[in-house]
Amino acid sequence: MEKIEITLNINDNPYEVMIYPNDTLLDVLRDKLDLTGSKESCGEGVCGSCTVHMDGKPVRACLTLAMEAQGAKIKTVEGLANVDELSNLQQSFIDHGAVQCGFCTPGMLMSADALLRENPNPDEKAIRKALAGNICRCTGYAKIVQAVAHAAQPQDDCCDCKSKE
Amino acid sequence: MSDHTLIGTRMPRVDSRAKVMGKAKYTADLKLPHMLVGKIKRSPYAHARILNIDTSKAEALPGVKAVVTGKDTEGVKWGVFPYTRDQQFIQIEKARYIGDEVAGVAAIDEETALRALDLIEVEYEELPAIFDPMEAMASDTELIHEDFPNNINIHVNIDTGNVEENFEKAYYIREDTFMASEESYFHAEPYAVVARFDHEGCLEVWCPNAGPHMKSKPLSNSFKIPLHKVKIKKIAIGGAFGGRSEICPADYICALLAKKTDKPVKIVFTREENTIATRQGHAMITTHKTGVDREGRVLARETTCYMDGGAYSSTGPIATSVPFLSMEQAYRMESVRYNGYRIYTNKPIRGMIRVHGRGFACGVDTQLDMIADHLGIDPVEIRLKNSRQPGDYTSTKSYVSSCAMDETIHKAVEKSGFKEKWGKLPPFHGIGIGTNSVQTGFPMGIRGGSQSFIKFNEDGEATVMSGVVDNGQGNENMLVQIAAEELGLLPEDIHLVNADTETTSSDPGSYSQVSTFVGGHAVKIAAENCREKLFKVAAKVLKVDPQELAAKNRLIFVRDDPEKSIPIKKVVRISLLNFTSVNAEGGYWPKVDMKREWVKNPYGQMCEAFSFGTTIVEVKVDPDTGQVEVLEATAAQDVGYALNPLILEGQFEGSIAMGGQGGMLTEYHEWMDGRCINPTMLDYKVPLACDMPRINNIIVESIDPKGPYGAKEAGMSIAMSAAQGYSGAVSNAIGVFLDSFPLTPDKILAAIKEKETRQLKRENADKTEVN
Repeated sequence: MEKIEITLNINDNPYEVMIYPNDTLLDVLRDKLDLTGSKESCGEGVCGSCTVHMDGKPVRACLTLAMEAQGAKIKTVEGLANVDELSNLQQSFIDHGAVQCGFCTPGMLMSADALLRENPNPDEKAIRKALAGNICRCTGYAKIVQAVAHAAQPQDDCCDCKSKE
Repeated sequence: MSDHTLIGTRMPRVDSRAKVMGKAKYTADLKLPHMLVGKIKRSPYAHARILNIDTSKAEALPGVKAVVTGKDTEGVKWGVFPYTRDQQFIQIEKARYIGDEVAGVAAIDEETALRALDLIEVEYEELPAIFDPMEAMASDTELIHEDFPNNINIHVNIDTGNVEENFEKAYYIREDTFMASEESYFHAEPYAVVARFDHEGCLEVWCPNAGPHMKSKPLSNSFKIPLHKVKIKKIAIGGAFGGRSEICPADYICALLAKKTDKPVKIVFTREENTIATRQGHAMITTHKTGVDREGRVLARETTCYMDGGAYSSTGPIATSVPFLSMEQAYRMESVRYNGYRIYTNKPIRGMIRVHGRGFACGVDTQLDMIADHLGIDPVEIRLKNSRQPGDYTSTKSYVSSCAMDETIHKAVEKSGFKEKWGKLPPFHGIGIGTNSVQTGFPMGIRGGSQSFIKFNEDGEATVMSGVVDNGQGNENMLVQIAAEELGLLPEDIHLVNADTETTSSDPGSYSQVSTFVGGHAVKIAAENCREKLFKVAAKVLKVDPQELAAKNRLIFVRDDPEKSIPIKKVVRISLLNFTSVNAEGGYWPKVDMKREWVKNPYGQMCEAFSFGTTIVEVKVDPDTGQVEVLEATAAQDVGYALNPLILEGQFEGSIAMGGQGGMLTEYHEWMDGRCINPTMLDYKVPLACDMPRINNIIVESIDPKGPYGAKEAGMSIAMSAAQGYSGAVSNAIGVFLDSFPLTPDKILAAIKEKETRQLKRENADKTEVN
């Protein structure tokens, strides 16, 4: 198989990269561009750890060929914060204890971020549905759901977290 | 406790910022110069003699840098205990399960490594394989390990009190058998290891672990290099749940390939490999015979448990004991006999996992419910009659100092409305209760204690060193929280160096729930010692007695006159100018009975503290599909003292997901001739966000006299009571006591059908009688 050169737009930066046509977007992000925030956990599109945005929509980077991503605006977990300033969602994950081992966190954040862009005020059911493609083995999801709800609409009585201060 | 600044607060975790930014590095994320890709060739047979391995074609493939087989290992064998050393890191003579390691390859890229695996030619002679533990135990000719008759790997026998005599005194006796299949960890992070030898011949290894010091010793032994030359490095870890406590053959193979190529090598497991070739939970068949008095007090119990251990020992003696120990800690019973058999089969290796035996634990509680039903008392009452009390000794002679089991029962009952609901819920709607107990540590000999070192830097900030590892549960935050509290600093002033065998002293790891109790304790003592040094210097400046001082917010001040203060930074600088270092050490060794041994002497003080708890679950069952909808789970847990309620709640909720929702409803393995046919996340069903019920967390504090700030194990054990709560609730909903776990829809439907058939027969018989 011959390598080809493609250009990818990731987190608003252009990257020219030599790839094999069968390289997945996840392979390219992790191995060629050192964007290792996106994780591989199942490798078959089930767990959601590799979720990134393509033109604002959440996709599984492990099931997306890098070639398919040409011309699209790709956003990874590394692009969520504005340099060192965390997004509300990221801060809410920290404040609500939604992060334990952290391996599912990048994918979870990307799915939740896409949800909030589409539906800025989701109810609990909508949050659980949007996150149903992201597997977390540590948290039982309670604090993740709380964190997303709070990021959507900070409520005084949700918990005694810091981010409402 | 109220004068604490950080301890007891909902302080967000210090490690979460790097994790939400995607900056935390896990093993698979590492990239070292000239690093090679390692892959492992595994046996396709469940039981086969290895006649010959030809690696020449693989070695000739361009891009292949090394191939290793059992011949390169010098036959080194691994086992957690000297009497369980039965596993070679690469098999030489026999493969004992589908997935057993037979060779390793290092190549320039993954594709080449995979092609090389295919080119390794292994000649096998297939042997008869045994997959059923009872069959394995019955055979005295077909042995999986030559030196273990009847394939019995471990036999734990515990016999206390007077079992026969008390059975005779019993008002009611029943004997029931419970079954459970294997479950798996499904850590988010698949296993991975990076190894390299540096220019001084030191072996550096990065891998997920539940205690770096537990990894360095076997590697030091295997490579015959001094312990100080094996450096297990700190790395972010994507979960352990009991499954990453010992050395993995991949660690050794990766290091061997690194040695042979003189280059760094990285092995990343596929999801299938993580399921098959790390560890699984034991399948088990447990028979409980229990005799009670008229009030439901247990007078005697005899338990026999057969555990499917898979191909090798792993943590066998511990895994065979802990299900029993959890039971004997949770409930009082003076006369009890236990025979636990761990049996070899030609299946993947089984180890420790959070619930410590679904069939065992749920059996104890289901049987209590059956007895209560017979006696006409409710499940809460029978538990309160038998619950562990502070000041008791367990049947294996461990003193229980702090214990708030009853308080957890009362609080969970109140919050869940159990009393109002029990017996009054509509058909196919049920409520169930389970209790738990787990030990905070166990005798670990030379590695039972932890030491910490603290050094102050001239800017007034401190470096804290500890061997404690964080698998995801928040141990790093716990260490920082304690150090900052005791030193009077802010969390951001602490630089934590941990889980690195080169710089940190030996530590038991996060393995037996002791990270806070032992490792956190060591940090607390080190910080107190360091603070004492600071106070001596500050006292001179402030012209007061050191006893009058306190430290908070980077200041040392006079407790009764806070205006009189001096910045910690200034105290450090004064010390250094006076030729006095500002550093300290601290260590903690739990006072346990070092003569206690899992098999030879299972009696004596096990650990210094035990945790206790209760979980109540409410469900609805769809009688047409057998699907269970879980409405609510309430967990009340005696954690000693809550150092950080935010983190604790996360443990509670995670335990309910893994032990209850997954462990009791959907998680199990299926097999075909020793091959696991659901090793992937697509086929093995772990709970999703949309599956989980509402969870009520109730923290109960008993203030353990030995624990740091009164803390002890906290939350992991809820997985056990959650499993029991779930099974009790489903049984209650359908009116049948279920004895095979997990409770999948087919089993639930079969139980409903059987009950209906029975009822129909009875009605017909009644009609006949009337006619």
